[in-house]
Amino acid sequence: MIELIFFLLVGALLLFSLLFFAPHKPQGRKDTKPLAEVQQALDVLQLGLLSPELVGRIFSKSDFDYVVSETNKKVQRLFLEERRRLALSWVGEVRRQIVSLRHFHLGSARFYAGLRFLTEMKLAWDFAAVLFACRALRAAVYLRGPYAAPRLVGSTTAAAARVCGISEKYLDFLRPARMISFGDDSAGGSVE
Amino acid sequence: MLSLLLWRVGILLEGLILFRGFRGKTLAKYPFFYAYVAFALADDVWGYMQYWFAGWGSYARWFWVGELPTLIVGCGIILEIFRCVLSPYPGAERFARIAGFSVFVAIAGFALIYPHTMPAPSSGGTMFELERDLRTVQAIFLVGLFGVIRYYGIPIGENMWGMSLGYGLNVAALLVGSAVRSYAGVPLPGTWNVILQQASYFAALLIWTASLWSYHPNSVPDTSVRLEEDYEVFAARTRSAIGAVRVHLTKAARQ
Repeated sequence: MIELIFFLLVGALLLFSLLFFAPHKPQGRKDTKPLAEVQQALDVLQLGLLSPELVGRIFSKSDFDYVVSETNKKVQRLFLEERRRLALSWVGEVRRQIVSLRHFHLGSARFYAGLRFLTEMKLAWDFAAVLFACRALRAAVYLRGPYAAPRLVGSTTAAAARVCGISEKYLDFLRPARMISFGDDSAGGSVE
Repeated sequence: MLSLLLWRVGILLEGLILFRGFRGKTLAKYPFFYAYVAFALADDVWGYMQYWFAGWGSYARWFWVGELPTLIVGCGIILEIFRCVLSPYPGAERFARIAGFSVFVAIAGFALIYPHTMPAPSSGGTMFELERDLRTVQAIFLVGLFGVIRYYGIPIGENMWGMSLGYGLNVAALLVGSAVRSYAGVPLPGTWNVILQQASYFAALLIWTASLWSYHPNSVPDTSVRLEEDYEVFAARTRSAIGAVRVHLTKAARQ
């Protein structure tokens, strides 16, 4: 019986993949200005969304503590609601930019004959992990407010470890000159 | 009655597909696919003649003589899809090739170990088990191939789309049919046999007729800006960007 179930599952998997594959009739990723796209995404992330000041301002509890000490309950609720909207907007935009980066990476990697299978698998996993972390953070903020995020530390740290591994692998690709040009990047030096 | 109707119209469609391939000069573009259709046509015509002149008994005796080569030639369609869709994309092709080889090794290993762990033979006939196993391998490769195409967002022309859809549908239906038959040890009830085996193949023939009516090649990718340098630069930038996101998500989570 287990044997039969296995074969039926394989058949069902193929049918499912056809359903997923067929209606889209994929036309591929747009080949126009890929570097400009990724540069824009990187700028938005590194210079805007991910700046410590912005992240700190959105998720720091100090603003809320001040509001609690100075205002009544109605204003506090209003503040929390506004801050939640802001946090949700921030997470959504970060996710959008990460999707854009993944889009570009896949569009470039498919042409690269020296692509490494394991690295690609790990990168796929890590993109998924970071995107999942974004979703989880979004859900937490939506359900429990802007200061519910500490509960996600564990999952985010796990995703961080995987990204760290991928980063090590990718350094092999880079020539010394490129390592210098990217060596001063804040993320590379702060991996825990 | 429905079974005979599907059979007869199916023979006509197979002939039409080959005719259109010849007229549209796509025979040379997709040799493995048209070889499969030619084998299937020869098998169907031979089977129909057996049935017509000597009855079902003779047809059943000769069934596997034509079916087995067609089954094996069908693997060529997967090679055709792989070759036509992935060849302009060396990165995706390499990924699919390594994934396919890994799957092949896993299946070969499983095939060696399985008889020792599960020695009891199933009640189905050996040929049906062989068909089921071959279809399973084909199904696994197709799922992997579709996954790579989808993951890398590779553009696919109408010819390849129809070829993939039709053959995938047919393999899935035949796999289910042969698995059930192999397990039960008796032929499927008539209606299910028609639905799973004949109707699925007929649907595939209709899809192939429509999608391969004329030549629609896959779009040629613009590789002018896709130098290897780009990959390296982008890999580094992706690395730093993901790292930055991680750091800030961690920071946000801890606050």
